[in-house]
Amino acid sequence: MSPSTRVPEQGVTSTVPLQDVSSTVRRDQARRLLPWVLGLVTVLAALALQSQLYSGQERTVATIFMFVALAEAWNLIGGFAGYASFGQVVFFGVGGYFTAVAISHWHFSFWVSLLLSGVVAALFATLIGIPLLRLKGHYFAVATLGVAEGMREIVTNLPDLTGGGAGITVPTVGNNATTAYLGNDGFYLLFLALAALSVLVAGLVARNKFGYALRAINQDEDAAAAMGINTTRAKVLAFALSGFITGLVGASYAFQQVTIFPERLFDVDITVLMIIMVVIGGSGTVLGPLLGAVALQFLSEFLRQNFTDLHTFILGGIIVVAVILLPQGLVNYVHEARRTKEYSLLANVRRYRL
Amino acid sequence: MVAGCGSKAETNNGGAASSGPLAIGASVSLTGKLAREGQLTKEGYQLCQDKVNAQGGVDVGGTKVKLAIQYQDDTSKPDVAAQLVDQFNDKGVKLILSSYGSANTEAQAAVIERNNQVMVDSAGADNKIFSKGYKRTFAVLSPATEYAAAIVKAIAELATPKPKSVVFLSADDGFSKSVTEGGMASAKSLGFTVLDPQYFTNGTSDVSSALTKVKGQHPDVIIGSVHLVEGVAIIKQSKELGVTPVGFGETVAPPTPDFAKTLGTQAENVLGSTQWTDATKGKDKYFGTAKNYSKDIQANFGHLPDYHNAEATAACLALVLATEKAASTQPDKVRNALSGLDTESFFGKIKFDPTGQNIYKPMSVIQVQNGKALTVWPKESAEAKMIWPGTR
Amino acid sequence: MTAFLQATTYGLLQGGLLALVAVGFSLVWGVMNVVNLANGAFVILGAYIGWGMHQTFGLDPFLGMFVAAAVLFVIGYVMQRFLINLVVNGPIFITLLLTFGLDLLIVQGMNIAFSADYRGIKTSYASESLAIGSVRVPVGRLLAFALAIAITLILVAVVNRTRTGMSILATGMDRGAARLMGIRARHVYALTFGIAAALAGMAGVMIGTVGTFNPSAAAAFTLMSFVVAVLGGLGNMYGALVGGLVIGLVQAWGGQYLPGTWVNALAFLVLIVVLIARPTGLVGRAFYAARLEV
Repeated sequence: MSPSTRVPEQGVTSTVPLQDVSSTVRRDQARRLLPWVLGLVTVLAALALQSQLYSGQERTVATIFMFVALAEAWNLIGGFAGYASFGQVVFFGVGGYFTAVAISHWHFSFWVSLLLSGVVAALFATLIGIPLLRLKGHYFAVATLGVAEGMREIVTNLPDLTGGGAGITVPTVGNNATTAYLGNDGFYLLFLALAALSVLVAGLVARNKFGYALRAINQDEDAAAAMGINTTRAKVLAFALSGFITGLVGASYAFQQVTIFPERLFDVDITVLMIIMVVIGGSGTVLGPLLGAVALQFLSEFLRQNFTDLHTFILGGIIVVAVILLPQGLVNYVHEARRTKEYSLLANVRRYRL
Repeated sequence: MVAGCGSKAETNNGGAASSGPLAIGASVSLTGKLAREGQLTKEGYQLCQDKVNAQGGVDVGGTKVKLAIQYQDDTSKPDVAAQLVDQFNDKGVKLILSSYGSANTEAQAAVIERNNQVMVDSAGADNKIFSKGYKRTFAVLSPATEYAAAIVKAIAELATPKPKSVVFLSADDGFSKSVTEGGMASAKSLGFTVLDPQYFTNGTSDVSSALTKVKGQHPDVIIGSVHLVEGVAIIKQSKELGVTPVGFGETVAPPTPDFAKTLGTQAENVLGSTQWTDATKGKDKYFGTAKNYSKDIQANFGHLPDYHNAEATAACLALVLATEKAASTQPDKVRNALSGLDTESFFGKIKFDPTGQNIYKPMSVIQVQNGKALTVWPKESAEAKMIWPGTR
Repeated sequence: MTAFLQATTYGLLQGGLLALVAVGFSLVWGVMNVVNLANGAFVILGAYIGWGMHQTFGLDPFLGMFVAAAVLFVIGYVMQRFLINLVVNGPIFITLLLTFGLDLLIVQGMNIAFSADYRGIKTSYASESLAIGSVRVPVGRLLAFALAIAITLILVAVVNRTRTGMSILATGMDRGAARLMGIRARHVYALTFGIAAALAGMAGVMIGTVGTFNPSAAAAFTLMSFVVAVLGGLGNMYGALVGGLVIGLVQAWGGQYLPGTWVNALAFLVLIVVLIARPTGLVGRAFYAARLEV
């Protein structure tokens, strides 16, 4: 007679033979390891891909990696915590300009500037996060937008430091260059590393107490506070973490572009793109922003190359259709469809419409 | 794009001359803030291709090769413009025509230098681009410092009674600031009293603060280092606020048809500097004179030519002439041919100084008279007398 | 002193026009929680309609704006009823995504249809100005300001006093309860969006009269709508008006007493400071900030 054990599985108690218990545990372990294995495989595949690409194609793929990193970082504050930051690009710009100024004026090497840019962006996030994260919903969104636009204007108005509207050039040749230019090959690897870092951070956050705290704040902040979660600390930490990664990306972008302008480094379009990628992919998930970034960037490049005159128009149309059919984002749709066994897209539309 | 790779060892054309057409890459701004100017640039490139191919093509060492310009949209963003140059390089397209505007061109020039491509710049006038030691980018247009200086020189030469004070109202982007610097230096050296310049945000349609600030100083001449939107705003709001200098001069805006169309009678007698008018002296074998060119633009595109059309065509022409001179489409040979080019054309003289800028072609100054932009300076190309004072 | 008065006058006039650009945006966000990224596109579309009426029929823009309002009302109604209503129950900010796509379509559509040429609606009187003491008051801007105020007041009256208006408010407060009371929410939402689009269109015609426009100008108006609407505060019909006047004045004074390029930085600084001090905007209602989607 096999000994029976009570295994609490999804709230249902049952008696299960011992061998099955350990296989269940092994299956759980496998399921938990699977994302890490898949992630590793993806990174290796991306590395292998590099040798197959032309130099210009590498640059395009590097841009995809850049948006993956940005989208995942936005997801930390906008998806998990539910505080949609409309001014996320400010960290991108702060990181970028810090690096440009550090290399041109203070002769730091790029790698030192990179790290410092992340830190500076994180500190900036903490600084503005403490007052602004008290705002809710719409007001938080627009306040962060105001910060981003305001920073752009400030940077434009400090021409001695930042070059102002005329832009600033990172020295990459000659005596003033402190670090050799990485070239398309080097930047491919750098942005791949940043994308991997961002996904890794998102994955870690999703699975530990911090992530649960953020999700609790998203669903009902007062209840979360009542449960003993220090909501201010959690929100500010998420904001700073998201700012750190975004700052790193901005710094790398500045080095890649060589000459940067405030209009571009603080461009609200970049924030909007980040948000779209996260929402289309599935906000609040780890895989969602990654898929959304890859899909949107790839599509946008493909359309631009092949439909030179109408690409923006077609992209707008595709976004409209995608949003109507999958309002909750792709990954969430897949989860819900698997759960309810309801795969029809039209049924999905009926779920969300008025 | 990413698919369709795996054939890195494959060689592409665009390098050695063979029976295929000569591929030239052009990233233009078809959407975004610069869409208007990008469209004019594309028209200029298209006309060049049509005219050259109508004569059989580019003469490369005895064989005629047809031009095939490939267009991509950089959505008015400098980083995309640079990326597109890289993508052209992948496909083996080494000869490039620039995008519109100094920001885009600057971004492209950096990539051109790294990839050993060659670019002819049609619309990036900022001197800063050419202060970096780039050897592979050549600008057919007069540099930014000339834009306002030309207006100042024209006023000094032709305006009677000669005005005493001048003030510059400038946008804050790199190009406009270079324009203002050049203009102020020229004004000071010609004996004008130069009041403090006023800056405003690039692209703004509200320059009322700048105008209110200078109103009390009663400048004789107001010169705007601007683009179309700010240029129109200066004229409109000057009228609204009662700012009445003896005359206005602006860069970029007055020569364009949109300026007179939008302002109507208020545009009368405003001076403007331009890279080209249909009275510019010079001719070449593909386009004839400036008047011939003007007729061709009207026939092909249904509107009067804008100088943005002309500078784009001139850039393409320079590339064609250099290729013919080098008798090869190899980028290094074309580059050397460009640096030694010295020729007349419908656009004026095309010749480059050691930094790659065309300092040998003067800018023209026009004045809006009866809704049309007529050349008033330099004297050799003048179609009409300058009306002065401009605001009575 | 003259400079100060001139700047103040200009600021108020500009502010009124900004208010009209933003009032529809604020209405739609406050009542339906829809973030309309296509608001700027509606403004420019209205400008093109006004321009077209003026070109083809010689219709004065201040009459042409009613045509623009009518056309944009229909466009807005249809857009809400058959597109945006489909995602209203979705996650927060999904409407942002949808209107982003629609904005791309409309702006590129205008680019293709009208080309990127800059246009303006020429009138004989718009650049004339009245002299009040030493201050000049441009006629075109004064008319635009007066109309903007009038339209806002009419909107407030309609919303607060008519049945339709109250159904809009009710649906905004509690959609479920409103439906239980027999209000057809789908229609009311569409109506609200239609009104918002019409208002944006009218503002567009006026903007076309006092300045130049082309399709790429849409983005700046959308950004302005955000700032003005939130500064004033959502949930209050006067919010956009207050926000607009404040921004107009701040920019005019800033332009006068600071170097001209600091004008925008100052506007955003004011926005942030106000939001930190009064988290729901200057006259906004707290209820609309903490909305739970049901």
